[in-house]
Amino acid sequence: MAERGYADVSVELIVKRAHVSYKTFYRHFGSKEECFVALFESALDGTEKKIRARLDAEPVPWAEQVALVLRTLIDAIVADPVIARAVIVEAPSVGPAVAERYQQATKALVPLFRAGRELNPRGAELPETLEDTLAGSVFWSAYQRLVVGEVEQLDAYLPVLLELVLRAYLGPEEASRIARADAPTRQPALA
Amino acid sequence: MEVREGEGEGRGEGPGELGPLPGGHHGLSREQILESQRERLLAAVAHEVAARGYRATTITEIVKFASVSTRDFYELFDGKEDCFLAAFDAVHDHVAELISTSAASEPDWPHQVIAALRAVLGFFAAEPDLARLCLVESVSATPRIAIHFREAVLTGVSALARGRAELADPDSMLPEAESSIIGGAVSLATRSILAGDTEKLPELLPDLADFVLSPYLGAGRAAAIAAS
Repeated sequence: MAERGYADVSVELIVKRAHVSYKTFYRHFGSKEECFVALFESALDGTEKKIRARLDAEPVPWAEQVALVLRTLIDAIVADPVIARAVIVEAPSVGPAVAERYQQATKALVPLFRAGRELNPRGAELPETLEDTLAGSVFWSAYQRLVVGEVEQLDAYLPVLLELVLRAYLGPEEASRIARADAPTRQPALA
Repeated sequence: MEVREGEGEGRGEGPGELGPLPGGHHGLSREQILESQRERLLAAVAHEVAARGYRATTITEIVKFASVSTRDFYELFDGKEDCFLAAFDAVHDHVAELISTSAASEPDWPHQVIAALRAVLGFFAAEPDLARLCLVESVSATPRIAIHFREAVLTGVSALARGRAELADPDSMLPEAESSIIGGAVSLATRSILAGDTEKLPELLPDLADFVLSPYLGAGRAAAIAAS
């Protein structure tokens, strides 16, 4: 699907690629859209679980939580660019329900970022849309690499995104220090 | 659906022939007619895509809305994707011009950024079909269109990077920061359009100005300029 875009992919192609029969396909899914939704949900659930697991493993300060979440998200995208492309690039065109679900998924970052306001004496005065926009920056960065098939370079975006998010709450010096020194490195298994 | 009267030239005509135009003595060359048909087709693809989404839009509906024959459509475009991209590029050129015109009269970089944001938000608020075409449908219509969308967004990078002159150390910001900043700003606009708030896009100006300027000017100065 990543090669052709959702609209161009037929059920025929899916069953061929997956080496399953039409019968098997339709036993699991009513339609191409249903198949996509299942793929989409499982990718989102999997990533959300990984993120939660890493956050629950040990309580860490807010800036490190942000770093861990961005790291996990980027790792998940780099590890499986085909699925990532389906979720991040194709989802908005599949249908209103999937588009809505994608918007919700991007919103998952909002409460995490928003907690940064408590670390800023003027946190309450920050623009109401700040977290939505920062989440937009994160997903745009993934999108724009996926679209041109250069997902490996997404790694270079971790410090960029981390600095952008931290700067909004902690100011430039603190953000730059943490983003460049403490950015968690990629899991060796994926390197 | 609106079908303009008296503009059905070319419809149903044989190859190489041109149907009668209203009045008969219009004095338009074949090139001029094609140009006017091209413009109507671009407006039509924007209208149809905004109404039903890229995937559900057919060439039949586009040519019907534009009152252009299918034959003439294919003389101008290879297909739906080509027609969509032509509309996208036309809007992008127009927006780029709006940005440079509006920024030209501003005294400094922060005010140029604000003027550019104001112009773009105002334009898309007044043109909801084009807003949908450029900021919603183009994101994932086809792989080729998505690459166009990406490139169009990234054309703002160099103008934004001029803000690095405001920093004590221009290299203190990581490369690629501009892409992430612009992408976030565009995503917020897209989110508003999806929520049905296209006409309220100009209300995003203070927040977006703050978001775009604060990495360069610091939160305090950016907020003050954004609010002014």
